[in-house]
Formats: sequence, structure tokens, C-alpha cells
Amino acid sequence: MAYIMIVDDDEDFASATAKALTDAGHEVRVVLETRGVIDKMMERPPALVILDVMFPEDPSAGFELARNIKQHDEKLENIPILMLTAINARFPLGFGPGDIDKCWLPVMDFLDKPVDLNVLTGKVSQLLRKGEAGAADLS
Amino acid sequence: MTAGPYPQTATYTLEMPETGRGEAGKAPAVPGAAFPRALLVENVRWFCHLRWIIIASFTVFGLLGIFPGIHSLMGLHPQVAWPLTVALVLAAANIAFFLHARFLVSRTDGPAAEANLWVQIIFDLVVLTFVIYRVGSLETFVPFAYLFHIVLACIFFSRVKSLMVTGAAALLYLTSVSLEQAGLVSPAGIHANIMLRDLMRNMPEVYLFNIGVAVLAWVIVWHLTSHLSGMVLERDNALARTNRRLVESREEKARHMLRTTHELKAPFAAIDANVQLLLEGHCGVLSHDAFDVLRRISTRARRLAAEIQEMLQLANLQDPTEQMLAWEKLDLGAVVDWCLGQVQWVAGKRSVVIEQEVHSVFAIGVEDHLRMLIGNVLSNAVFYSRCGGRVSVSCRSAAGGAGEVVIEDEGIGIPAEKLPHIFDEYYRTDEAVRHNRQSTGLGLAIVRHVAQTHGIGVRVESRPGLGTRFILRFRSPEESRMPESP
Repeated sequence: MAYIMIVDDDEDFASATAKALTDAGHEVRVVLETRGVIDKMMERPPALVILDVMFPEDPSAGFELARNIKQHDEKLENIPILMLTAINARFPLGFGPGDIDKCWLPVMDFLDKPVDLNVLTGKVSQLLRKGEAGAADLS
Repeated sequence: MTAGPYPQTATYTLEMPETGRGEAGKAPAVPGAAFPRALLVENVRWFCHLRWIIIASFTVFGLLGIFPGIHSLMGLHPQVAWPLTVALVLAAANIAFFLHARFLVSRTDGPAAEANLWVQIIFDLVVLTFVIYRVGSLETFVPFAYLFHIVLACIFFSRVKSLMVTGAAALLYLTSVSLEQAGLVSPAGIHANIMLRDLMRNMPEVYLFNIGVAVLAWVIVWHLTSHLSGMVLERDNALARTNRRLVESREEKARHMLRTTHELKAPFAAIDANVQLLLEGHCGVLSHDAFDVLRRISTRARRLAAEIQEMLQLANLQDPTEQMLAWEKLDLGAVVDWCLGQVQWVAGKRSVVIEQEVHSVFAIGVEDHLRMLIGNVLSNAVFYSRCGGRVSVSCRSAAGGAGEVVIEDEGIGIPAEKLPHIFDEYYRTDEAVRHNRQSTGLGLAIVRHVAQTHGIGVRVESRPGLGTRFILRFRSPEESRMPESP
């Protein structure tokens, strides 16, 4: 079981995802806007963040938040981020798994919406294992 | 936002976009005014290179004068001292101008580059006046050499500035011939026979007519050249403005596409996720009928989401400004690997086994578009395979260094008479609809567009009921002409 934070402005999608992850045995917190996310993470660092890309006020707020999470504090530096977006990585605007870069886009993986909830829970378990292995290497 | 007229009231004024009409209302382009600094510096250097040719000509002419017989053969007085002196002075000045131009490259000072050009022009006009005096200001055609400077000034400077150069040339020439006519400087000339000069000196009407015609010719050339140069530059500026608007519009369209995709797909993602919760039993056990209805909703929602995305992709591909995308040298093997990663899950779910033999082969293309092309063919192979079927994918180098991707399935196949239609938008065979109700009929239309813009050969071989093979033949990087960037 792990504590997971979902940051997504689509409440219907976020709550459905949260339900699936809760049923898979995780503890999930849903945040519907990017403002204040870092403070909430500092209060209790999650084991994984599931992050949307586009928010109503800023179409790339998710990217910005991913960078801020990595740069804000050592406590948050190694938290894996899974980017979940309705913009398919095949869309000819150029971001996808090939763009994962430690500085520009510090996320561990992408999934496209709509997403199969079984694929999502599988990916979450995989990233949590990777995150644990990374933390063990660092310690 | 700015503070408004009332306390605690914020105001905001919507900015009006620049329109074609607004652009047309602007003052016409001023010739020479639009030259960027880099181009000015380039012009300074070009002048210097051109001057070395003149210096070489004077040096050769002066050295030939050492041998009296050669100049005499052309009916000239032997000329040695002044051509070599002019060559020496020009060479010294040219080195100074060139060094200054090199210094300008590392600076962002536009006026300094223009000042350098002006000093060069004035210097050249003075030297040219001396040369004309020495060669013969009345009895030869050499005064027309001023036209070189007048034409160049018309190209590089505004009309007013080029008129100033024309005026300076006329002033220097008239001063020179007047001084000669008044006897304040001794008459010169390279012609051995001085009868022609004496004739002109003694006939003022011939003298006045000749210099009048020369100056009039310069003014006419200035007028025509500066007018034409102005027209060309104005069209050039208009073209640059249109191109800028086109690029801005494309960027705006890309942002709009991104936002539209998100806004249209996000609701379906939410519906789909919630339906999945019900179907997977997260909210309790459903009756068989309820389960069936939900499955239909899920299938339809997914199909609509896929259709929205493919419609947007197709619209994007059909846009002529798509040529302005980033073309690059790509590893087709990496693109195929990426596409395989995208279909693995669906293949696993349908128990379709994918056999792959992927090698590194290079081609020129737009990465996202090639991903769309190969991804669509590959996902078709998986979707139209039967449960437990086999799909084989190979990417290898063919003859002439061209890349070849072959995707083969053992699925439902396509009847021969329907093959010519499979790349049409929204076309789906009855067999395909029966096998896969989620098909949109747009995937192969996307394949056609990408293949046509990239010059990729697509060959389809199919046997109904037994399977289909797509052979994609890419041009080698040497065969491909990479489209120019905007």
C-alpha cells in the first residue's frame, strides 16, 4: 500500500481513478488544481504523483509543476511522477516518452487518456517498485 | 491589467490583432531601411572583396606602363606612377575597411556598419574622380564608372541617400572638369593624341553638352534603379510580413488543436474511467443486462474519443503549412520500437503474439508523422487479427540504403475489389466492421497522407481470411530532399 497523490482538474476522472487505486489497496488524495500542491506534498510526501498536463488557466501547468516538484526540496526530488493526459503522445506537437528528460520534463512515464484502469494500476505498481529501488540505491 | 478610474476596479483593454488591412495602411517600405545589421556588415565585406579586383586592375595597368611599347600600342601615353599610386592607396584603405568589418562582426552596432559603407563610398568617389581626371574626364567614357556607385547606392540605401550619392558624384565630376577648364589644374589624359581634348576646350558647347549628358544619364539611372529597388524591397517586406503572419497563424492553430483535443477527449476519458469502475465490479455486482449496456457505452465512448483524435490528426496533416514542420534524420528502428510499445497491451489483451525483427535504418521525416503512419498500420494488424493470432514486424535496410518496414498479420484480410478503397476517409469494409466495431475508418487515410508527403511507397498484399501484409518502403536519406525550414 502506498500514499498516492492525483493532481487533475477533471474531478470525474480523478475520482474514478482514485476509486480504482483505493480498491487496489492504496491511499489516494485528489487535488484539483496545481496551486498549493507543493505545500501539500511537503506536509506528507506521497510515494507517487499522477499528474495531468493541461489545467484551465495554463495549458502546460502540469509540466511546470513537475519541474517545481523536482527542484523545490530534497524531500520531493525522488518522488516518481506519472503524467496522464488527454493529449495523445502521437499528436504531432511533440511530447511523449521520448521527451522524458531530467531537466525539461522530469517525469517517469506517460499514459494517454482514456486509460484502462487495469493498465493504470499496473503502471502505478511498476513505478512504485522503481521508486523504492531508487530510494534504496540512494540510501 | 491596470488600475481603473474607480477605486478597486481593474480594467483591461483587449488588444486588437494586426490584420492585413492594418499592414496595408502602413507607410510603404523604405528601400535600404530594412537591411539588418548582419547584411550591412556582409555588404561592407563584399565591397572590400570587389575593391581588390579594382586594385589588381590598376596594378596590372601601371606595371604594363613600365614597358612603353604596350601602352603605345593602344594609343596611350605610358602610365606608371598614378595607377600604381592609386592601387597602393586603395589597398591601404581596403585593409582598414576590411579590418573594421571584421571588428563589426563581433558587435551589434548597426550605425557603425552603415558609417563604414558611407566612408567607403565617399572614399571611392574621390579616388574615382582622380582616376577620371587622369584617364580623361571629357574624351573618354570613364565618367560612366560613377554609375557603379549610384546603382549600388540605390540597392543598399534609401532613395534620399542614393540621390545624395548621385549628387556627390555629379559635384565631384563637375568640380574636376571645371578646375581643368579654368586651367587651375593641368589637363591630363591617357590618350596620346590630344586633338580631341583641345577641340573640346575650344568649343564650350561641346564641353557643356558632354558633361550635361553624363550627369543626366546618372540621374536617369538613379531614378530607374532606385524606383525598381524600392518596389522589390517593398514586395520583399510584404512577403516577410505574410510569412510572419503565416508562422504565427500556424502556431496559433497548433495551440488551438492541442486545446481542442484535450477538451474533446477529456470528457470521454472521465466517462470511460467511470464505466470501467462499474464493469470491473468496483461498485458492486451488476446484472447481465446492465453489464451489457455499460459495455456498449464504453465501446462507443472509446470509438468517439479515437475518432475525435484521428479527425484532428487528419485535419492537421491536410494543412499545407504542415510542410513547415521539423524534418529530420530519424532511426526508423526506434520509431517502430515506439509503436510496438504502444500496441503491446492491446495485443496482450487479444492474445496476439507479435514477432519482431527491428534493425536500425535511417530515413528523413517528421517523427510524429512516421509514428502515426507505422502506429496505424501496426494497430490495424493487431485489431484485425484473430485471438491468438500472430503479427510479424520487420524493419531493415533494403536495396540502395532505403528503409523497409513490413507488417504482416494472419487476420481477416481484405477482398481484392476493396483494396483500392481502404485509404479513403471513413471507408471500412463490412468484414472490418464486423470484426472491430471500434474502427473509425480514418487510420489508413492518415497513413495515405503521411506516405504521400514523405514519398513513402506503400504496398498492400492481402488474402481474405488469411491475412494482410503492408510493405512500407522509405526513401534513403540520400534520396530524400529535406524540406526547407521557414
